[in-house]
Amino acid sequence: MRRLLVLLALTLGTAGAANLTVFAASSLTDAFTEIGRAFDAGTGNRTTFSFAGSQVLRTQLTQGARADVFASANAAQFDPLLEGGLIASGQVFARNRLAVITPRGGTAVRTLADLARPGLKLVIAERGVPVGEATRRAFDLIGASGSYGADFAARALRNVVSEEPNVRQVALKVSLGQADAAVVYVSDVTPTLRRSVRTVALPPRFNPPVSYPVGVLRASPNAEQAQAFVRFVRGPEGQRILRKWGFLPAP
Amino acid sequence: MTRPHPVPVVLSLGLAAFLLLPVAALLARGLGADFLPTLLSPVVLDALRVSAVTTGAALALTLALGTPVAYLLARRRFPGRTLLDALLDLPMVLPPVVAGVALLLTFGRTGWLGRPLELAGVSLAFSPAAVVLAQVFTSAPFYIRAAKAGFLAFDPDVEAAARVDGAGPWATFARVTLPLALPFLLEGAVLAWARSLGEFGATLLFAGSLPGRTRTVPLAIYGALESDLAPALVLSAVMVVLAFGVLFALRALAGRRG
Repeated sequence: MRRLLVLLALTLGTAGAANLTVFAASSLTDAFTEIGRAFDAGTGNRTTFSFAGSQVLRTQLTQGARADVFASANAAQFDPLLEGGLIASGQVFARNRLAVITPRGGTAVRTLADLARPGLKLVIAERGVPVGEATRRAFDLIGASGSYGADFAARALRNVVSEEPNVRQVALKVSLGQADAAVVYVSDVTPTLRRSVRTVALPPRFNPPVSYPVGVLRASPNAEQAQAFVRFVRGPEGQRILRKWGFLPAP
Repeated sequence: MTRPHPVPVVLSLGLAAFLLLPVAALLARGLGADFLPTLLSPVVLDALRVSAVTTGAALALTLALGTPVAYLLARRRFPGRTLLDALLDLPMVLPPVVAGVALLLTFGRTGWLGRPLELAGVSLAFSPAAVVLAQVFTSAPFYIRAAKAGFLAFDPDVEAAARVDGAGPWATFARVTLPLALPFLLEGAVLAWARSLGEFGATLLFAGSLPGRTRTVPLAIYGALESDLAPALVLSAVMVVLAFGVLFALRALAGRRG
């Protein structure tokens, strides 16, 4: 037993590795899982993730949840932690775009105009969820363009049958065929999801800017390794994985 | 009268404190100065209304359909009775999210019954009816169990005597069986209602979450946690008060029964 403990202490000590806890937005689920594996393989750390809507993670962090790194899907859920002193500094590491998805084989949605057609079942994220906020801004942009009617946003929002707590739940409702359409990030249309949904293009002019900030928690007991994780995410290998999962590079 | 040993006393106090402190913290925050204005905010009122309506409907359905099931299970011998009895308890031990998936695969738009229903013009997905189904699915077994115990709690000879005295089957049921089983039925109804009120996972998955329509109190608490803590705290405090009311009612009913 004692020999085992010594061995354990040695392996942990020599590698300078740590158990890292990363709180990350739901939309980062696939990309960060892969990044975590690559990071751990190179450094010997053991990184575990808690994926949820950024707003949930923010609430948990303000209520004292212990984490080393926080990666949020927008500044609105990140900056209050900066101002509150929980996080020392933040850097944008990725950007994203919105996409409209509809069940594969479904005929209810062919163009953006269909989103506002009465009787359509539309699922979006809640206003407090970054993607939900971006969705509402996109609807406003579509309405303001004039080509789809000035009241597009109001008509589309009337079609909303559910406001979900995170983007993966939004995508799930369409992949199960429950809803006619949903608004998610381009990066959420993963190879798995692509088997059950079709994407309707959302032109760039209707896409509000979506940036992902990341930062190390001030209370992190593994600040050094946490900083290394952030560097890895922003470095070439992290950016390659993010691009693979549909994210745009940081500006 | 000997003084109790200090060890169990200290351990009991520790556990009691552990169980009660979070409740106290919740009530202290939830019942704060802005309790009333928050209680009267649309977010909270909508959630309370949706929960009241859906749990009311779920309870009515459970009573109407669960009572005969419990009666037959308690009084009749038929092939497969034990199996059916066990199967009907199943939703009680299933994780709610599993119940949600099961309901989706059955009543969802592409589900077994969902597709024909959709063709017939009935769309359950994201409707308050879906909330009710989720609640009945997860709470009816609690009622059936209690009701079964109620029908087994007295001698069937009492009913036979009533029939000998000329009472028809309905009169016997209404005048003899029901009153005798009533404390059990009430207890089951209270439990089932409380379970419906707390239903979260199956509802979120199967019925979605739309303010004023399918967003019940637990879903509203979950939703509010993401932006504004105040409604979540007030609704949580309301749930604590309701839950305590339920437990208190159960004690009273048990007293009547005993």
